[in-house]
This record gives sequence, C-alpha cells and structure tokens, in this order.
Amino acid sequence: MQQCGGSETEVTWEDQQNINRFGRLNNRFHELEDEIKIAKETNENLEDASNELILSDETVVRFQIGEVFAHMPKEEVEERLEMMIGKASEELKRLEEERKFVDALMTELKKILYGKFKDSINLEED
Amino acid sequence: MASSSSSPAPMIAERRGIPAATFVEDVETYLTQLGLDVNSSLSFLQERLQQYRLVEMKLLAQQRDLQAKIPDIEKCLDIVATLQAKKGTGEALTADFEVSEGIYSRASIKDTDSVCLWLGANVMLEYSCEEANALLQKNLENAKASLEVLVADLQFLRDQVTITQVTIARVYNWDVHQRRIKQSA
Repeated sequence: MQQCGGSETEVTWEDQQNINRFGRLNNRFHELEDEIKIAKETNENLEDASNELILSDETVVRFQIGEVFAHMPKEEVEERLEMMIGKASEELKRLEEERKFVDALMTELKKILYGKFKDSINLEED
Repeated sequence: MASSSSSPAPMIAERRGIPAATFVEDVETYLTQLGLDVNSSLSFLQERLQQYRLVEMKLLAQQRDLQAKIPDIEKCLDIVATLQAKKGTGEALTADFEVSEGIYSRASIKDTDSVCLWLGANVMLEYSCEEANALLQKNLENAKASLEVLVADLQFLRDQVTITQVTIARVYNWDVHQRRIKQSA
C-alpha cells in the first residue's frame, strides 16, 4: 500500500505518523466492511424469521436460547424477535456511520499525503 | 476506536514485549550511525518485518478466540436470564436439547434455583442463578477488556510494521538516488 517512489522527498516523523494513521484507518475500514456484511445477514435472518412467524399458525414456537430450543408462546417469541431486530438494525446503523467517519478521515489524510508526496506514495488498494 | 492517540505521541520503546520500530530521520545518518551498508540494513529491516508478521498472526488468532468467546458468554447469560424469569411463575420451561449430534430429547425445567457452569479443565460447579449471572457477567467484562487491550496491541504492532516498511522504502530509494548521483558524476 504505502511505498515511496524514486524521488527524494524528506519524510518527517509527522508524515510517518500520518501514514501510520492512514494504515490504521484502512485496516479498520476493512474490518468494518466485514462487520457490516455480517450485521446485514443477521438483520435479514431476523426479518425472515419474523415474517415466517406471522405466516405460521402454531401457538407454541421453539426458540433457540443458548444451545437448547425452548418452547415458547408465539407472542413471546414475536416480542423477543422484535427486540432483536431493533438491536441488530441499530448496530448496523452504528457500523455504517463509523464507516462513513473512517472514510472521511481517510480522504482527509489522502489529501495531505498526496499533497506532500505526489505520486511517490500510493494509498490505493491493489 | 481507530483514530485514538492522534496527537504527535512521543516514541515508545516497546509495548507488551513488542519492540518499537525506530523512525529514521535521515537515512544517511542512520546508516553511518549503525555502521551498516545498504544491503545489511535492508536485510535487518526485512527480518524485523518478518518477526512483526509472526507476532501479528499470533495476536490475530487471540483476537479471533476472544471474538468467538464473547457471543458464547452472552448466550449463557441469555439462558440463565430465561430460567430466572420462569422461576416463581409456576410454569416449567420446556426445552428440546441435543443429547447427541442430531438427536434431541425434551426436558421440563421447573422452578430451578441453580445452574451448573462448566468451568473448564473437567470441572463443573453448581451455582445459584444469581451467582451464575454475576460470574458470567464478570467473564464477559474480562473478555471485553482483554479484547480492547489486544486491539490496541495490534494497532501498535501495525504502526511498527508501517514504520518499518516506510524505512525499507526510504533506504532503498536513498541507495538508488546515491547510485544515480555517482553515475552522473
């Protein structure tokens, strides 16, 4: 990712710290992408479960808690699912906001670093 | 989490046994100070980089373990809370549980005061629901705290990797530049 080209631009400790910061952010960005993917899946699964529940006419549903399937009245499961969906979508929102924040910081740093090192530095993927 | 310690921090010598990479102000002074030529300094830095990579893998494995442990504890807390909620209602908790892979049986748990926690190393201990809850909470907090430390360690380590990579590139470039000067002279 960060390789300096052939020219003779001096690298100061401040530049180095900016490069480090960029590296950290880039790492976090990738972590967030993975986390968002997982959070989206969780959300979809919960939505699916809740939709299935609406269609089913069972009064007692088996709901997995820990390792066992507890028999629970449908209404209680609906309540629990509702809560889980709320939590999961909040988490997803939080992750997406952090991604936006990290992305903005990276754009800032890119401006600074490209401004100083021109094409002697490459901050793009691949 | 990612952008902490943004102020120009002083250089730290090490963190939890991981030696810090020294930032090189000027390549020429660095080389003469150490009395190294370009090639031996490059191979020294490469070796350092390899060592950092090794530690990184170790820390990443630890991170994965902890990240798996936390939801496990949360699941335990969930079921203990369910048992506690059922207590005193007079209702039993009917649960299907796995007796062997793919084989389930049905249990009815009525008015239970206690659960048994598997502590590891072939030890299981019976706790009251309140105690179990407290213990699990404590474990959860500990796991989260260790994860936080670990993430900070990884960030430190990655900074050292970046510094080393940049230093390698600069030593290399400096060498190329010197050769060019010599050629044109």
